Amino acid sequence: MAARGAGPAVSGRPGAPGPALPAEPEPRGSVARSVLGSPSLRLIGRRLLAAIPVLWGVTFLTFVVMNLLPGDAAQELLGINATPAEVKQLSLKLHLNEPFWVRYGNWLGGAVHGHLGNSLTSGDPVTTVLGQRLPVTFELVLYAFLISVVFAVPVALLAASKPRGIADRLSMVISMAGLSTAPYVLALVLILVFAVHLPILPAIGYVSPSQSIAGNIRSLTLPAISIGFGLFCFYARLLRADITAQMQAEDYVVTARAKGLQPRQVLVRHALRNSLFGLITVVGLNVGALIGTTVIIEQIFSLPGIGQELLQSINDRDLPVVEACVLIFAVVVVLANLLTDLLYAVLDPRIRYGRAIA
Amino acid sequence: MAAPLPDALRPDIAGTGADAGAGAGGLGRPGARRRGRARALEIWVPAGVLILIAAACFLWPLVYPVPPPVGGSILNAGLPPFSPGHILGTDPVGNDILSRLLYGGRVSFEVGVATALIGLVVGGLLGIVAGYQGGVVDAIVMRVLDVLIAFPSLVLALVIAEALGPSELHTIWAISFFSVPAFGRIARAATLRLREQTFMLAARLSGTGGRRMLLRHVVPNILPQLTTFALLGVGIAIILEGALSYLGLGIPPPGPSWGNMIALGAQTLTASPELVLIPSICLFVTVLCLNLLGDALRARWGVR
Repeated sequence: MAARGAGPAVSGRPGAPGPALPAEPEPRGSVARSVLGSPSLRLIGRRLLAAIPVLWGVTFLTFVVMNLLPGDAAQELLGINATPAEVKQLSLKLHLNEPFWVRYGNWLGGAVHGHLGNSLTSGDPVTTVLGQRLPVTFELVLYAFLISVVFAVPVALLAASKPRGIADRLSMVISMAGLSTAPYVLALVLILVFAVHLPILPAIGYVSPSQSIAGNIRSLTLPAISIGFGLFCFYARLLRADITAQMQAEDYVVTARAKGLQPRQVLVRHALRNSLFGLITVVGLNVGALIGTTVIIEQIFSLPGIGQELLQSINDRDLPVVEACVLIFAVVVVLANLLTDLLYAVLDPRIRYGRAIA
Repeated sequence: MAAPLPDALRPDIAGTGADAGAGAGGLGRPGARRRGRARALEIWVPAGVLILIAAACFLWPLVYPVPPPVGGSILNAGLPPFSPGHILGTDPVGNDILSRLLYGGRVSFEVGVATALIGLVVGGLLGIVAGYQGGVVDAIVMRVLDVLIAFPSLVLALVIAEALGPSELHTIWAISFFSVPAFGRIARAATLRLREQTFMLAARLSGTGGRRMLLRHVVPNILPQLTTFALLGVGIAIILEGALSYLGLGIPPPGPSWGNMIALGAQTLTASPELVLIPSICLFVTVLCLNLLGDALRARWGVR
């Protein structure tokens, strides 16, 4: 969690007197200072600073665990028939014989300057390797997110518009079932139905968007559903519970009804708006868990994404590539959390992080 | 967080006895008794199914002899379901599927329960201490958990499984790296909420020591929340075990687990989909019951 004092503090109820505003006009020229000193920028700065030890810890942990693995890249590259002398020679060439701290220091020094090194197996720069892989994973995750949110919002609205009605119960049963389904099982069932019995979508392989946009979407549809269905169920349940709670308990709902708004308008304009906001948090915090799922799904559907690269590079003991993949995952998780907090602060003016503005 | 109260003591449910429904209008609440029964069903139906599945996995092979789950004869390979002697048929190397399902269920249950327990004890302890102590302890513990959360846990699990070699025990260790930070965060958040409560202040003012505070006041109050999460955790662990198996790093074949049965079956998905579907259904029903039970208990105990 956040460092002490950085937690969210909801300040001021609607009726309570707000903090006194600074009365004297600010002199010209202090605009830059006031922008730099703005609470949200300070928040970003503090969060980014707090992220540094976390990211460092992640890279260090990766280095340690990769060193615990038996065998090294030289052995993996040369295969089991290589003589010890050959292995030793290649280790020297790849600097694998240097002590742990020296290698970690070298890697870290490079990484801080933006050099993630070269792949030990192919010799290509790690950034090139990742540049080919990252878009696939990114596209997949985005597609899955889109599917889940696009379906979750209307389903939740439908369910919440009449709690305990047929639509509500049905959607809750389906979403409970979806939550209990392992993504890889869903993937296999989808392949069985939509690729084997009704051959309408490809089971494996990836078509890049430069070849064919439609082919690209088709090739990612089954994987994206495999990931997105679980998310959809999760979001739909969450949103429905939140909207129902708001419709029952919140004063603004009573006000909106009292001034004669249609129930549907109250639902969409007021309750949904407020609930979406809780959803954003969950989406942000969920990104980490999503990455694990992506690795498996990429494996099942043979998508050349970053998960597949990661598995391959762990097998090859290709430390620079593993480090880079793990670092990317960690950065995404940390950034997603930061972005969630910021969005929260932007969307809800009652939330102030640390010190209040005045 | 209200302490769990037996139904008989709850004023909203008790006292709406047999004649409540037929009683004079407005006195009794006719729905209450039905709601109470529905609530009990919500808990006992999934619990019952879980007990049945677990009993089948652990007791059936002791009571009623089944063929061994490994080392089947190739002569019996690929028998369809409902073959004599093999109710669910055999897999491509001639092992009895029912037997693999039962023995595999044992492994899946063991992995799920063990990782949830490790998470509950280790993560719970870390979270409670961090939340209760605050300050430096909190900062250090939470940073370490942050690293574990930001680290793609699957990678850690993969590396552990590969470094130590695949086995059931190592799978449990690997998956525990998921459960410990999750439990830690939940325990910490719950402890933080608790710290602000009046009864905690009262206890501290009356001179209760730190350890006693934790054991008598904090632990019992956050246990319902951790328990319901542990039920979900068992399900997640069982699914993760399958994911590791899928990557060849879970329970080493030929030893069965539901996860690696699915993974092995996926290789012959088109020819014999039942090899995937049968263990998938078991996995699904088990996880579904765990989720339903977790939800029902959460509602019953009033956990957020």
